[in-house]
Amino acid sequence: MTKLAELQSDFLRDCLSPRPHSKNLLLTKDIDTSQIAASGLMGIYQNSAIANIIAVMKLTYPVIETLVGEDFFRASCKKYILSHYPTSANMDDYGGEFAEFLAGFEPAKQLKYLNDVAQLEWLFHLSSRANDASSTDWALLSNVAPDDALQVKLLLAPSVKLISSAFPLDKIWQMNQENSVVNQEIDLSHHHGQTCLVIFRRGLKTEIMTVTVGEFALLSSCSKQQSLTKIIEAATSADNTISIDETIKKFIALTIISGFKTA
Amino acid sequence: MSDIKGVGLGLRYRHFKEFITDKPYVPWLEIHSENFFSQDSTSAKYLAQIRQHYPISAHCIGLSLGSAANACPMRAQHLQNIKATIDWLQPSLVSDHLSWSASDQGHYLPDLLQRQILIENPSSYLSYVNSPIPEWEFLSGLVKKTGCALLLDVNNIHVSAHNHGFDALKYLANIPIAAVKEIHLAGYSIDKIEGKDVYIDTHGHRVYDGVWQLYEKAIERFGVVPTLIEWDTDVPELATLLEEKHKAEAIICKVKNMAKLTIPQTKNEPIAS
Repeated sequence: MTKLAELQSDFLRDCLSPRPHSKNLLLTKDIDTSQIAASGLMGIYQNSAIANIIAVMKLTYPVIETLVGEDFFRASCKKYILSHYPTSANMDDYGGEFAEFLAGFEPAKQLKYLNDVAQLEWLFHLSSRANDASSTDWALLSNVAPDDALQVKLLLAPSVKLISSAFPLDKIWQMNQENSVVNQEIDLSHHHGQTCLVIFRRGLKTEIMTVTVGEFALLSSCSKQQSLTKIIEAATSADNTISIDETIKKFIALTIISGFKTA
Repeated sequence: MSDIKGVGLGLRYRHFKEFITDKPYVPWLEIHSENFFSQDSTSAKYLAQIRQHYPISAHCIGLSLGSAANACPMRAQHLQNIKATIDWLQPSLVSDHLSWSASDQGHYLPDLLQRQILIENPSSYLSYVNSPIPEWEFLSGLVKKTGCALLLDVNNIHVSAHNHGFDALKYLANIPIAAVKEIHLAGYSIDKIEGKDVYIDTHGHRVYDGVWQLYEKAIERFGVVPTLIEWDTDVPELATLLEEKHKAEAIICKVKNMAKLTIPQTKNEPIAS
């Protein structure tokens, strides 16, 4: 290893240390510590890096920040960052494990819905950055032979993300938007059933839509690129009153279903 | 010939809507390239609209030009993403930061991007005991060896000069005049560490008086170089950024003895393609 590589490697290890204020920093021998000790100097770099990453997380997780308050949010982000340092210089990629982290974060243990809210925010983030769907000529469907029709696979637009939760994520989300006029108490202990949500983008706007369990099952089956046979089976198993025809038309109109593939 | 002239602003998400709908007059905007890797993303689509009215400079933040290969290899995918973004956006200038030290990558990057790269001087808080040459000498050597130009961050010079006790004017005097193609201005924070005031480059404040004074000296030496007001943390109302822009313009006018720097426009007009 060259001297430069060694210095940079030592710098990284010191900077990523959860306790840069310890006396055992690798760089101590290489830097001027006549004014400030190595621990103080490295603390500047670590604090600066963490502050910058927290700024990124604030943009991705505004609802979580609103729910737990700024101080708690910062403290949990700091803990997360020290165990999940960025591996890509593209900060859009950062923060995907925050939901999982919150689920195991002792101080947030009582707030069981946080994990799902964070998951929703991450999917929203991914949706707003997803590629556009390529255009589809639906008239070509008429070329599919009747015997093969049930083998057709319906494709979701790249921006479509699905999440279901035991908590009323849609209400929590709405109430904690910056300009929300919704102001009601949500009694989480009396919430029954699954909340099923679809996140998707129309033009420049990323939206969250509540769907029925049948619709959710249909879209989940589409997301697994299953055949129409399986899609119908999944949707009707979840809700035997669902109109497959109407539901598929509705999702095509919303560009949630954006294409098809024949076997 | 670059269409980047006068005093521009760093484009931040908070102000997208104003730049799309109101189009306040700003001669150019600078983006962080890494925020627009997905050209289908909402933010990239907004940028495509803004780009129709504002010349754009692309400032990269993740090329890590000074990294030794063993410690932090330059990721090929990241480079390709930068190239794709630049090919799509066709910015007038492309820049990134000088990381810690020398690198041959200054040769490689312009070949890949097919354009000259501007390298920004860093702000720093520690110095190495085995550092035989001052930063300005290193930068001058880099320009000579690689053919890159410089993005001179006047705030970074002020911050580092305070933290390391060197003379900021000496720094300016030793930078080759023709190499400077852009200047950055920003605000810093002051932390007390072990009883010593340390300037931290946070980009979260108005430009300090000491930086304005140094900027005046920079304009005297380097001429009317395109200048950017950067503000990255606790981003304020656009009006605050415009105030800082006007201060920079007033300094340029004072140094150049000009009545007014820019054409008195109130809105940006579409850029002719």
